[in-house]
Amino acid sequence: MIQTQSGQETGPAKRDWEPKIVAFLCNWCSYAGADLAGVSRIQYPHNIRVIRVPCSGRVNPVFLLRALQNGADGVLVSGCHPGDCHYISGNLVARRKFALLKELLQYAGIEPERVQFTWVSASEGGRFAAIVEKVVEEVRRLGPNDKLVKKL
Amino acid sequence: MSASHEIETRLRETAEKLLREKRVDLFLGYEKASLPFRTTPLFLTSPEEVKRLAWNPFCTTNLAVYLPRLFKPPADAREAKTAPPPPTVGLVLKGCDTRSVVALIQERRVPREKLMLVGVACPGMVDWRKAERALREHEPLGAGEDAQGNIHVVVEDGTELTLRREEIVADACLECRSPTPSIHDALLGTPVEGKDPEAARQQTAAFEAKPLSARWAHLQETFSRCIRCNACRQACPVCSCCKECLLDQTRPRWVGAGTDISDVTIYHLVRAFHMAGRCTDCGACARACPMGIDTRLLARKVNQEVEDLYGYRPGEALDAKPPLADFAADDSQDFLTEP
Repeated sequence: MIQTQSGQETGPAKRDWEPKIVAFLCNWCSYAGADLAGVSRIQYPHNIRVIRVPCSGRVNPVFLLRALQNGADGVLVSGCHPGDCHYISGNLVARRKFALLKELLQYAGIEPERVQFTWVSASEGGRFAAIVEKVVEEVRRLGPNDKLVKKL
Repeated sequence: MSASHEIETRLRETAEKLLREKRVDLFLGYEKASLPFRTTPLFLTSPEEVKRLAWNPFCTTNLAVYLPRLFKPPADAREAKTAPPPPTVGLVLKGCDTRSVVALIQERRVPREKLMLVGVACPGMVDWRKAERALREHEPLGAGEDAQGNIHVVVEDGTELTLRREEIVADACLECRSPTPSIHDALLGTPVEGKDPEAARQQTAAFEAKPLSARWAHLQETFSRCIRCNACRQACPVCSCCKECLLDQTRPRWVGAGTDISDVTIYHLVRAFHMAGRCTDCGACARACPMGIDTRLLARKVNQEVEDLYGYRPGEALDAKPPLADFAADDSQDFLTEP
């Protein structure tokens, strides 16, 4: 909230608003992929906040809901490609969870672009940058998240 | 004589035999309650008491909810030494309750060999809220079933009214696909055909046809009534699954405990998600809700999605693996973001 001179509260000024994306990246592939994007000096939007997790299978759907509740405008989860999981099948189990979660959230009226899932390997720095660009662009088009946010 | 009266007689005989021959230590059934349209759960341990057992169109409670507590594993080695051996339990099961028991057996929370399942083919149970609504200003004093399966009610001035059964059975019963227990040790009553799943799908489709914002607004309006009493979770036979429920954890507190609309929404979303591949659609949550929230709105969608994506229907087969405990190399991944 921004305090104006007259003391009135206004919503976040659309002009200054930048989307905030929380990204859960798996330690073995996607985090390394993001690292590669960095060392290769590939430019991508700075709107993401990375949280490193051991595996995409570690990501509990509650993490994503909590992120949205605490003011994230979008959430991205990225793991190893199927077959490449460090723990053999963590991402395959996660895939089922995420497929259902995405359907459920959309059914409940949350824009599907706010919660996104993808696979990025350790050698795909370019792909990581492209994904982030796409996610940020889509969330920017939606505007600030106001649905699950807890108003204190 | 009504069909349920016949079943009641046979049920008492079966329970008496099981208890007298000591094939079960405990028999779970229903007893007439003090209010019309209601029954109360009954825990029987001696054959002399079987006349308290009742079977009528108001036996709504899903008795499977008591099973995990009866077979609770010992907390530690010391408790394991002193704990009495698990009981053998007989219980009355409708189609939906059977599905819940199957889900519990699959998750190894209840041992099949300790159960004596007395299945009853269920023609649909009365939702007392619907029945009282149908009576309008009348005060019911007593209710029973007539030979056609309809419900006759005696009201305050002594007159008798008849309510058509289809109009007052619970919503879950109207969508029930397997009202006759598939797994049982004894079966009472004439098998009942399952309902066409198309009706439930149409309801989901109708909700989905609304725009995103209207769906959100509808849920917010619904959830704003929620008082977070957790009755839906407690009434659910397959929920309360974890050693410590995520919703009860305080460090960290994942979901706020109050009635903040954001916390309430997350509570319901998490509950719907946790029931994916496990919800047997018995309607216990909707029945338990004191605020009349349609908890099945989200559950129904998740169930259909599980069936469409993974070809799985909860509680139908003992040897099936729950979909979220499993995976396949070729699972659909159309939902992924591609650059």
